[in-house]
Amino acid sequence: MIDLLANGLVQIVQWKYLLPLLLGTVAGVIGGALPGVTITLTIIVVLPFTFGLDPLQGLAAMTGVYVGGSAGGLVTACLLGIPGTPSAIATTFEGFPMARGGQPGRAIWLGVWASFFGGLIGGAFLILVTGPLAKIALAFGPWEYFSLFILAMAMVAGLAEASLLKGVIATAIGLLITVIGTDPIMAVPRFNFGSEFIGAGFPFLPVLIGIFAFAQIMTDIEKMSAPKMAGAAGAAPSLRVAHLKVIGEILSRPFLLLWSSLVGIVIGVLPAIGGSAASVLAYDQAKKFSRRPEKFGSGVPEGIIASESSNNANVGGSLVTIMAFGIPGDAVTAVMLGAMTIHGITSGPLFMVKHSELAYGIYAAYILAHVLMVAVVWVCALFLLRIVNVRLAVLAPVVMTLCVIGAYALNNTMQGVYVLLLFGVIGYVLVKAGFPLAPLILGLILGDQIEINLIRAIMTDDNPWLFVTRPISGGLLLAAATSVGLAVWQHLRHQKKVAAAESEPNF
Amino acid sequence: MDTRRTAIVLAALGTALGLSTVAAAQSQYPERPIKMIVPWAAGGDTDNIFRPFAAELQKQLGQPVVIANVTGASGTAGAREARNSPADGYTLYAVHDYIHLTYYAGISDVKYTDFEPICLVAATPSVLTASPKTPWKSWQDLAEDAKKRPGQITVGATLGSTSHIFPAMIEKASGVKFKYVSYEGLAPRMNAILGGHVDLTDSNLTQKGSVEAGLLKFIAIASEQRTPEAPNVPTLKELGMNIVYEVVRGVMAPKNTPAAVRQRLDQACTKAVTEPAFAASMKAQGTAVAHKNSADYAKFLDKIDGDNKAIMADLNLLKR
Repeated sequence: MIDLLANGLVQIVQWKYLLPLLLGTVAGVIGGALPGVTITLTIIVVLPFTFGLDPLQGLAAMTGVYVGGSAGGLVTACLLGIPGTPSAIATTFEGFPMARGGQPGRAIWLGVWASFFGGLIGGAFLILVTGPLAKIALAFGPWEYFSLFILAMAMVAGLAEASLLKGVIATAIGLLITVIGTDPIMAVPRFNFGSEFIGAGFPFLPVLIGIFAFAQIMTDIEKMSAPKMAGAAGAAPSLRVAHLKVIGEILSRPFLLLWSSLVGIVIGVLPAIGGSAASVLAYDQAKKFSRRPEKFGSGVPEGIIASESSNNANVGGSLVTIMAFGIPGDAVTAVMLGAMTIHGITSGPLFMVKHSELAYGIYAAYILAHVLMVAVVWVCALFLLRIVNVRLAVLAPVVMTLCVIGAYALNNTMQGVYVLLLFGVIGYVLVKAGFPLAPLILGLILGDQIEINLIRAIMTDDNPWLFVTRPISGGLLLAAATSVGLAVWQHLRHQKKVAAAESEPNF
Repeated sequence: MDTRRTAIVLAALGTALGLSTVAAAQSQYPERPIKMIVPWAAGGDTDNIFRPFAAELQKQLGQPVVIANVTGASGTAGAREARNSPADGYTLYAVHDYIHLTYYAGISDVKYTDFEPICLVAATPSVLTASPKTPWKSWQDLAEDAKKRPGQITVGATLGSTSHIFPAMIEKASGVKFKYVSYEGLAPRMNAILGGHVDLTDSNLTQKGSVEAGLLKFIAIASEQRTPEAPNVPTLKELGMNIVYEVVRGVMAPKNTPAAVRQRLDQACTKAVTEPAFAASMKAQGTAVAHKNSADYAKFLDKIDGDNKAIMADLNLLKR
């Protein structure tokens, strides 16, 4: 196996393959950095260029996009507080405050190096344990998916420091948004009030950009007239970074890195969930395990490390099912599979045996793409970091315009733009009212899948106890209950502490 | 006065420009990338057939043909989007028999007559496929088991579409009763059947690799004769069921797409399907190249629409 991988690496460092890989990585970083341009969209744009290439060249280019895209997303997340791709959602929670606090370089490089290490851990799992990992994907039936999503939401609703209730309500709002449109089984229109505008439901991306970007920019603009913020005041924030120190910061938390990567891998192996959920879940875990959870939200490195290592490890995870069964786990790997088909390569369980050179070529490309990603960001960072020095009066309209174009480009219709506007307002109101956005987004991501899997489970067998009696499903539900219990307990303890501290002088 | 005159001149200029662009658009079609809506997930069988086709088509047209997977609601989301797209030849719609079925099942309000037929591309015989966790070795085993426990053997299907109709025809011909579970698209169905979360599904010869690896079982194929690709799989006809069921896939354009544009597309399609590379990739997918030009495709569509309506009525699924 090692010699096969070595062969793959030797093959991929030839210019013939290195160049498409590099170009793919650059395209990925750029596409990932633009809010509204997803990795999927970037890969679809790249796809036609790969038709004339040999299969591995094409797949190398796409692997580059996949890896580069997740790094590009973190740059926007840190500098603008907007996830450049959905999988960078949780990076905004800590990366943006850290950048605002005068350390944009540290925030970005923490993210890049965490992506690097997370990606490599994901790669190691991909190569060493593809078989057993792929079995997890098959063991998950509709019951297990449903329970996993319940666990995910239970965990993230507990994220909200201030109020578990607000977290739960935010999750519910996210779920409710997905109910509008057509039902996912029989396409019956519902809750659309006979309107064409919402007839097909709200597309995910404009809702995401609206809630994050608009709410973020509005809050920034509010502060514009106020006296200059702490960190941003005075001289330009430091753009220089001691890379060794940043790497040290990551590697001194091996448990965090490994656990976040593992979360990413498992979510990646399971089809139809994706990097955004991985990033949010890993962030939640980091906070739960942290000795200083109250600091989260103010720019702590753990949050960035968790989010970014998990979303890159996720890429490795989603390559697992395609290698093991030829079944794509997400839209990106589906396009990669399509590219293989175009070249007449039959995917499926025998892919690794029949096309081992190609398979190990992809592994090698995946590993090398991480090195290239660091190099590409290194070069780009010289320009990108200047963004923080641009005046908000200039930056805000530019970012807003980019968001609107992104929403429009989704289907080339104005519907996306109106949805963006609508959810911009909703997001702003929710932020003002103190509702956390992460649970809402997770509800939005998982809503359709929860519904589909619940219905599938009942269609397969009308016995509802199966959710509890099937071991994996039951275990996941138990974990969900424990998670809520833990959150309530932590919350009570926190309140007691606060009460004890405040009771004497004030009340 | 002056401003008014300027306005008139500008308006005239604008009209002239507008007219010239219209004329240019017709003479030089295509002058920008073309979007082909595939109403199913990327990586599914329809997607896998149209991706190599799009690659050949764009060679003929000299412009990129970009696949857009618009999924959801048994393929209805993509159909609606295609219907509502401008009829300028820059949006094409990759379609198969489901358009007739979802219409008659009352799932969709989109009918094949909402589009202009361009050409028929390929035909794929359906294969009844079983999970490796099922005990059956042959159709006889399956039929016996199904008669013992009616309504308990699960079938993963896109409800109201081909993967639902095909098993339903088998139910009717053999007198068994299945239970249907909604799994939209081939990729999710394959995941479910590999994991044993459903017992049966409609698939096709693309899954040959999984069968060879012992991860799936082909029970019977719905073609006239056994296929050289899988010579051990019996036809449904041999098993005493008079069922030949192929999923035929073609390309359409929104209603009122200009005739000149349609003709250009028809020509390009005729050339694209005869490319050896396309034939090779279809063979790899257990699919036959089945070309019909737009005139023949139109007649063919009328015929299969009637057939499908009859099947739906036969199966008591007709809602329109």
